[in-house]
Amino acid sequence: MSLAWLLRRLLTVLYTLLVVSLLVFGLTQLLPADAAVTLLGENATPEALAAVRLRLGLGDPAWLQYWHWLSGLLQGDFGTSMRTSQPVAPAMFTALGRSLMLGGASLVLMLLIAVPLGMWAALRRGKAADLVAGLVSYLGVSLPEFVTATLLLIVVADRFQLLPATGYVAPGEDLADSLRHLVLPVLTVSLILVAHVSRMVRSETIDVLNSDYVRAARLKGLSPRVVLLRHVLRNALLPTITIVALDVGYLLGGIIVVEEIFAIPGIGRALIVAITSRDLPSIQAGAMIMAATYAIANTLADIAYVLVDRRIRYD
Amino acid sequence: MSPVLQVRDYALDYVTRDGTQRVLQDISLAIEAGEVLGLVGESGSGKTSLAWAIMRHLPGNAREAPGGRIHLGGTDLVAASSKALETIRGRRMSMVFQDPSTALNPTLTIGRQVSEVLVRHRGLSEKEAWRAATEALEHVDLRDAAGLMKRYPHQASGGEKQRVVIATAFACRPELIVFDEPTTALDVITGARILELFGRLRAETGVAALYISHDLALVSRVADRVAILERGRIVEEAPADRIFTAPTQDYTRRLVAAVPRPDHRLVGDQVTGETLLRAEAIAVRYGRKRLFRAAPAAATEDVTLDIRRGEILGVVGESGSGKSSIARALTGLADYDGVITLGGRRIDRTGGMDRAYRRAVQIVFQHPDSSLNPRQTVADILARPLRLYGGDVSTVPALLEQVRLPAGHARRYPHQLSGGEKQRVAIARAFAARPALVICDEITAPLDVSVQASVVELLLGLRDTHGTAYLFITHDLNLVRQIAHRIVVMRAGAIVDLLDIDAVRQGNVSPYTRQLMAASPAPVG
Amino acid sequence: MIDALRRLWRTPQGVLGSVLLAVLILACLLGGVLAPYSPEAMDFAGRFAAPSARHWLGADQLGRDVLSRLLVGARSTVPLAVAATFSGALVGACVGTLSAYLGGRWDEAITRTIDAVMAIPHLLLALILVSTLGKGSANAALAIAVSVAPSMARVTRSVALAVRQQDYVKAAIARGEGGAWIVLREMLPNVAAPLIIEATIRVAFAIMLFATLSFLGLGAQPPASEWGLMVSEGRRFMHQAPWVIVAPALAIATTAICFNLLGDGLRDALNPRDER
Repeated sequence: MSLAWLLRRLLTVLYTLLVVSLLVFGLTQLLPADAAVTLLGENATPEALAAVRLRLGLGDPAWLQYWHWLSGLLQGDFGTSMRTSQPVAPAMFTALGRSLMLGGASLVLMLLIAVPLGMWAALRRGKAADLVAGLVSYLGVSLPEFVTATLLLIVVADRFQLLPATGYVAPGEDLADSLRHLVLPVLTVSLILVAHVSRMVRSETIDVLNSDYVRAARLKGLSPRVVLLRHVLRNALLPTITIVALDVGYLLGGIIVVEEIFAIPGIGRALIVAITSRDLPSIQAGAMIMAATYAIANTLADIAYVLVDRRIRYD
Repeated sequence: MSPVLQVRDYALDYVTRDGTQRVLQDISLAIEAGEVLGLVGESGSGKTSLAWAIMRHLPGNAREAPGGRIHLGGTDLVAASSKALETIRGRRMSMVFQDPSTALNPTLTIGRQVSEVLVRHRGLSEKEAWRAATEALEHVDLRDAAGLMKRYPHQASGGEKQRVVIATAFACRPELIVFDEPTTALDVITGARILELFGRLRAETGVAALYISHDLALVSRVADRVAILERGRIVEEAPADRIFTAPTQDYTRRLVAAVPRPDHRLVGDQVTGETLLRAEAIAVRYGRKRLFRAAPAAATEDVTLDIRRGEILGVVGESGSGKSSIARALTGLADYDGVITLGGRRIDRTGGMDRAYRRAVQIVFQHPDSSLNPRQTVADILARPLRLYGGDVSTVPALLEQVRLPAGHARRYPHQLSGGEKQRVAIARAFAARPALVICDEITAPLDVSVQASVVELLLGLRDTHGTAYLFITHDLNLVRQIAHRIVVMRAGAIVDLLDIDAVRQGNVSPYTRQLMAASPAPVG
Repeated sequence: MIDALRRLWRTPQGVLGSVLLAVLILACLLGGVLAPYSPEAMDFAGRFAAPSARHWLGADQLGRDVLSRLLVGARSTVPLAVAATFSGALVGACVGTLSAYLGGRWDEAITRTIDAVMAIPHLLLALILVSTLGKGSANAALAIAVSVAPSMARVTRSVALAVRQQDYVKAAIARGEGGAWIVLREMLPNVAAPLIIEATIRVAFAIMLFATLSFLGLGAQPPASEWGLMVSEGRRFMHQAPWVIVAPALAIATTAICFNLLGDGLRDALNPRDER
């Protein structure tokens, strides 16, 4: 992995963030709401409104407003929320932390289930177990998160009262209770990911099982266990890195809905609140943070891939 | 002495969605210790299935007919349990595969893949096995064996990888080795070296070998006895020197006749006429300088050649020699530096190729599967050049007849045709324009040898009728020597030789060409 | 075309998907006629009625028949999502093909930009668009079309590039065919099949996204009986009347499965194989 490759990768991330910033800023500027009215309310005096407009720079041309916002971002100033009149950054980043916890736990759970499931289905290809796994996956990718969440709520929280329905408890306060509140949200987010990733893992594993080198290994008389562990595993897992990176996008989308349903104060929930209350700075900040998370996740996956697969020469 | 491998009355079926297909029938053969049996068959003959049957690695839908027997020494392989087979494979019998780049695991070191056999079957410790493996690699003439052990397959060349595979196969001193077309995926010269290695190892170890190939000429040089497989049956078996000189069966006779023999000229005339096309100082370069990356090396440098009217100019070279790049430059598929002159007009860029040029210079590609648009019927495919160059669309049936295809094929789609038939359609498409020059870019490489012979016959017949010139690109030097008037030999993007066929016959060639000639010997007899 | 349909019905996925599609089309066209009750007919006496002979799928918090609302809701849920997907796919396909055809720097620039746009999760993009344009089914559909376009552009581009490498395209270039001919007559018929398959599978995704938007209150508005909206409205009463949620939830899932099955079936049907 050369420095040139890293530099190019970094440039790509920066370009991505630039385009996202333009897109987000452009779209939100189309919002018909007058930011000043949103801030001060319908009954504010014209003078107060004018003062606010001046302060927020709303009379400036669009590109200037964009420039102000962007330069603020680069200095760490994410603006002031129009809803709470507090700086956006601290709240957003705290919320991000909670979402990362939810997302991270979902990712880990998903990997723990999807990878073995996919490989097992590949090994039992065509048999009953594979077909059942396939059917379950099919169902998994056809259920939107809000459906899964709601169904889980009905069955687990309502009927059987096994787990709390909604709410969030910080791990610092009470770890056990925190975990209990996390179970349903994590399950919901993971389901669609497990369905998707396990199918991909299955297909990759089948390719590896049918490859010439696995056949050569078998014909060398190596025991099935050795063939599986030494020859199949690594080659089947390699593409999983890329698949997971792509799924971070689905994850982030799913988190929005799940946090809304389960009342978890993460960045998804914050975004919904910001959108419904037309809080422009928060919307912009939240969208940028999400896009940045995705871009960073993908870059990390690329680096991991290059480190693990010696065939690739990113020169 | 009992044979090392004995197959008796073996039959094999594959069960598919369309019914049961019998792939092998009445197979009986025996190989003694130290003996090499060559198994020759075209595609669909079942030769690969026989290899899997012997190695006991058949696909899930294979059904063996009862009564067939396969014995390795005293062991009944058909009845052997999978646990028993694990101890037999790699130790008493092993296999060398066709494509070394896919037969080695890309994420394991070469050393690991060689030593694991030794650990498994010879009970050596990891360290001992590593040392023994290094010695095995040295024994197959690999330089810097110790360093190679630590490297990964993609860091070795095709020839090196095949030596590794061979070393692995020989490592436990097996009684039998099955070779599945081990040189097909390699360059001619590299392949010849591998065969030399094989000869040496075989003499040293006295191993029994089954050498499978589609190349009758090659097998007759390598094997002691040759068995000919046609559609699942062994039609003839004879000592190698007799199979060419005195074949007894029709099929064998046809195969023998189809094998290109340099001394057997198919073209009788001389061509001394005017120059049709002249290419000067052609340089083709792919890719451009990108951000943080250097520009790639040129595919061809300063290539100059000319083709006379009605001439067959053969272009020979190994992969990477640049011969296909010349074809691309001449047809405007790749940008080039240099000048092409056709009929007095000088063309120095692909943009300068007008309709008259395009009509005069046509190309037939290597892969029949991708050269015909799968969504167009044969009629559509042939009608287009006719419309484009002012021909008559109603002559499509006549075109098909010229390439010896039934007129009814016009309504078919490419996937309904065989490889040979698709290639004929591609040829018909080229001739629809009544070109002066047809570039044949390795068009017979993917075909069976008998199909290749008929396609060559077709091309020569068309030349007799229309007086077309050919630029015949191939890696098969023997084939080119049968049909070309002059031969161009290319290496690493440059022309090494541009010779008259007589010069080649007399041996007035450069050292590289001599190497090529030695690596593609004429068949025995 | 008939050939393709015949091949489609030879696979189990194709058959099942087609059957489900037929049911959906029936519901969309004749939902109002087939529904036993008017979707807006309220019956306060029969609130939260469990599934019975009178109400096959039960009644909701306002006594409205769930089955009727479901049948009529098909019209609110499915057609817009399908239309949104195909228009988004069309735009995406054009961009993708153009990018593949142009090659070089243009291709790189377009691809990087598409990748950048895809860094925003689909739902978020749709949310921002809807909040900008205003709530409602039409805007939600537009938002979905915009979400679908980038990924379709990427798929189209990679298919187009693969087709571009084929020798029959090179043969056309060698013949001196013009760019328009090559793209329209040589490449497009071969690019169309994978795209149709991809688009069909995206419809499943679009339906799910549309329902999610409605669930969040930003898509279809009450009193429409869009399925996502039904789930959202029924959430408060999940304890008393879970069937109010389960029925539309299963309807959404079934629809998504239907299009996934069709996509899978089409994969076999549209790819000519060796038939010799």
